Amino acid sequence: MVVIRGGAAPPGAGQRHRGSAVDWPGWLACAAALAGFALCLLGWLAGGGAFALPWAPSLDLELSFALDGLAVLYGLLATGVGALVFAYGTRYLSLHLEHQRRQAVERWRFWPWMALFAVAMVGLATAQDLVLVFVFFDLTAVCSYFLIGFDRAEREARTSALMALLVTVVAAVAMLVAAVLLYAAHGTFSIPELLARAAPSATTTLAAALLAVAALAKSAQVPLHFWLPRAMAAPTPVSAYLHSAAMVAAGVLVIGRVHPLLARSEAVLTGLLVVGAASVVVGGVLALRRDVLKQVLAYSTISQYGYVVMMYGMGGAAGNGAAAFYVLAHGVAKSALFMTAGAVTMATGEDRLSRLGGLGRRAPVLAVAAGVASATLAALPLTVGFFKDELLFTAALRHGPTTAVLAVVAAALTFAYVGRFWGALFLGPPRGRVGSTPVLLVAPVVVLAVIAVAGGLVVEPFARLAEDAAGVSAGGPVALSPAYHLDARAENLMALAAWAAGGALLALPRVVDRVSRAVAVAGERAGPRRAYEMAVHALNRASTALHDREVRDLRTSIAAVLVPAGVLIGLAFAATPTAGAYVVGAVVGADWLILPLLALVVIATVVIAVAKARLAVALALSVVGFALAAVYALVGAPDVALVAVVVETMLTLVFVAALARMPRAAPERDAGAPARVRRRRRDAIAGGVAGVAVFASVWGFLSQPAPDSVSAEHIRLTPAAHGSDVVTVIVADFRGLDTLVEITVLLVAVVGVATLARRRLW
Amino acid sequence: MRPGGRDGAPDAVVRVVARLLPGPSLMVAAGLIAKGYAEVGDGFAAGVIVALAIAPSYVALGAEGVEAALPVLRHAPAVAVGGLLLALASGFFPLLLGEPPVSHRPAPGEHVVKIGALELFTPLLLDIGVFLLVVGVLTVLLHQFGRPRREGGR
Amino acid sequence: MILAFALAAAFLFGSGAYLLLKRDLIRMVAGIMLISQCAVVTIIAASLGRGRAAIAVAPGDPVSDPLPQALALTALVIGLATVALLLALVHRAVVVFRTAEQDRLAATEAAHEAALERERRADREEVGPAPEEAGPAEEEPADGGRAR
Repeated sequence: MVVIRGGAAPPGAGQRHRGSAVDWPGWLACAAALAGFALCLLGWLAGGGAFALPWAPSLDLELSFALDGLAVLYGLLATGVGALVFAYGTRYLSLHLEHQRRQAVERWRFWPWMALFAVAMVGLATAQDLVLVFVFFDLTAVCSYFLIGFDRAEREARTSALMALLVTVVAAVAMLVAAVLLYAAHGTFSIPELLARAAPSATTTLAAALLAVAALAKSAQVPLHFWLPRAMAAPTPVSAYLHSAAMVAAGVLVIGRVHPLLARSEAVLTGLLVVGAASVVVGGVLALRRDVLKQVLAYSTISQYGYVVMMYGMGGAAGNGAAAFYVLAHGVAKSALFMTAGAVTMATGEDRLSRLGGLGRRAPVLAVAAGVASATLAALPLTVGFFKDELLFTAALRHGPTTAVLAVVAAALTFAYVGRFWGALFLGPPRGRVGSTPVLLVAPVVVLAVIAVAGGLVVEPFARLAEDAAGVSAGGPVALSPAYHLDARAENLMALAAWAAGGALLALPRVVDRVSRAVAVAGERAGPRRAYEMAVHALNRASTALHDREVRDLRTSIAAVLVPAGVLIGLAFAATPTAGAYVVGAVVGADWLILPLLALVVIATVVIAVAKARLAVALALSVVGFALAAVYALVGAPDVALVAVVVETMLTLVFVAALARMPRAAPERDAGAPARVRRRRRDAIAGGVAGVAVFASVWGFLSQPAPDSVSAEHIRLTPAAHGSDVVTVIVADFRGLDTLVEITVLLVAVVGVATLARRRLW
Repeated sequence: MRPGGRDGAPDAVVRVVARLLPGPSLMVAAGLIAKGYAEVGDGFAAGVIVALAIAPSYVALGAEGVEAALPVLRHAPAVAVGGLLLALASGFFPLLLGEPPVSHRPAPGEHVVKIGALELFTPLLLDIGVFLLVVGVLTVLLHQFGRPRREGGR
Repeated sequence: MILAFALAAAFLFGSGAYLLLKRDLIRMVAGIMLISQCAVVTIIAASLGRGRAAIAVAPGDPVSDPLPQALALTALVIGLATVALLLALVHRAVVVFRTAEQDRLAATEAAHEAALERERRADREEVGPAPEEAGPAEEEPADGGRAR
């Protein structure tokens, strides 16, 4: 794909461009994003398209992509906003690295992930296979992990990255479960087919709910919203992208993609509505008195995506259409606001509203552009934002009075915190020193503002995009007709009410302060973040405890293998009927010779276990080996017997040689110490239990020989392979690959021996 | 292992036997390989037998003594690697001909040239490769375990 | 016969497991050797439908199943390689720690454990402050962000 090429230029090239030199990997990513944007646009105008490649046919997995309305909307958003953010990032990242006294070559830790982020979003938007969706969904999470943790020297950044990863990825598992559930019920992972086949049922409802959980965590909805404000630790371009067109948008994208499935169940839709409304209120109230710029925007994102989720919860053509339009308008406005925050911080070195103000006169272009973006978010006329609220009010009115009231409250909150944000930044007495604002940090904001105004004047293209996208979510054609109406219709009245309420909130900072602080404190005391932290710490503790138990020393490591294995075998025995499973076997002919040999083996084995001297151990081991070799010869395995004899001789030799180089076995100190006796007794019991378990399983296994063996075929084919000793032919021909691997192991082992002796091979 | 003999000098008989033993053992090995496909035995057993014939030299002469008496053993690592390569080549050459690995030539059913019990076909190469590898590996092993220790540790 | 082979395998394995738990590293190697012998015996015993050796078989002859024998051959060879490697390992441990007893090794392990503990503490910090450390919010609750 084009975008990948942007990130895959040879590494090390950045080293030559130090400091403020041109950030060409960034520009490459930007160009690639622009190309992607053009492709998406052309594809949309050409009426879309689809292709599918087999991926894992045995699992019914397909790499199927389609450029439908929803894909176009999110594809354009990801590439368009992406291109602007990347352009902004080329400058921002250079300054950022300079401030942190890091090398310019660290760009290579940034741009590939950004590019991959864009690719993952486009892939997610176009994917038509539920498992493929899951893959891209998690890919965005992985990208976000590395991008949020870009300032990896800072613990805050690392912790935040980990939190974002854990919350979104763990929740994404729900999506995989849902995919498997649906596959079990309908035999396909393909989303269009699933939508066609799934009838309302308990399974469908469960799968829909699981899908919603994954999507809501990604979209930072209450109660899984807490990762998003922390993710502000990322560099600003990442935040801008993450909030407007990627990551958080991925959640609502998935909801839009599978919405017909969610709409099979009224309960799921109601759930979406409730979660969305809660997010709107919680995010909005908390955003009202954040001090850090990016935090205001982060909570506003929670609230804004709450709108979208709420509208998807309303469902129907109106709800879906409004949701799609909302995502578009919000993406434009929110990325502009983030880039404004970044530009302001770069220029002043301050990141708190309380220490900023009166920037309007000193950075007029930025002030106007940011004003337009704020107006878009606050849904003022002449911006594309006005229509997003108009459509919201229409959908809410159609759904019922409660949602209508909620919509007004939401709009009022938005108006209030956006107004506070912009006002505190650009109005009032000048505060703080202002450096220069590089053109590249302002231009993208201006471009987005121009788009917002253009959308406010000519809404038609935006409406078409949203209609096409909503058509996919609603499962049928959707008609949107946003327009200015200069009359007293309900939507207009609601908008006026919202502005008035928002203005009132702005005018009463003290009351707002108190409420917001109460919510924040309550959230801190009993909020989900605390639960998350407790869960993570508990898991960490459990892991540590297990680790301690397992690897305290060598013996516990061995026990950690033997004990669970023994327990498993025991459980298997408890669960299996054993009647008739055991056969004693007849003793005929040569068997009378084998029996004493086996007895000898047993005796020698016991001698090994109890012997004091190591030499006795070595000799008894060779007795076992030779006795077994004799047994092999007697059971018609002369090849094995021959090899066993020579190997055993060799082993004895090597063992004794090794013993000769060991220190003499130290006399057992404090031999009578009770601890040692106790331990020996425990070891004996463990060995006994292991022996009994092996006895039970081996006896059972030997009692049930398979009626026919593959070897019949081997024996039949041996003459054709020019041989008559079947075993040799198996080793050299039929299972020749095994032999090749085996002899390689032999050489590797001897290299290991030589290495351990710290010598060369010779 | 230390040089044998009570006074520290190896016994003359032991020295002679130790030096001569590898020769006959090679004959046994050749026999085992030659009739391997028809009778008991294969390259692996042959290799271990040769190595076992070398082992007494280590017991009798010690590592330095063996190096002096049988300097040819110095090539053991090369023999091991060469044997492995020969075996792998005999296993994987069919890949070059577009056949699955370990397809032997002549193919099943085709005529094979025989010299007594010795059949001339590619599994023979595999066997010889295994034989060389095992001789080399075990000789290196004996060498590593037989060298007097320089490090402390007693 | 089946019972006899099963008993032999059981003794081999039980004794091997017992030796594995010993302090002496040489005995641990012996334990592993016994367990691999147990595996080979089991594999060979699985071809109990016995006859003569599978050489120049005429159709209809009762023969010992050759496949387990081939597997046993592999097992023996690998066993040789493993034991050689283990012995070298033990020897190395003896050279480094001057003892083949686990007591002394345990002391080294304790030092290793201390290093692990440090690592673990670093991990704990990585997942965020402990909940008990997270005090009540003052000015800026949930303030994770840094504007940059």
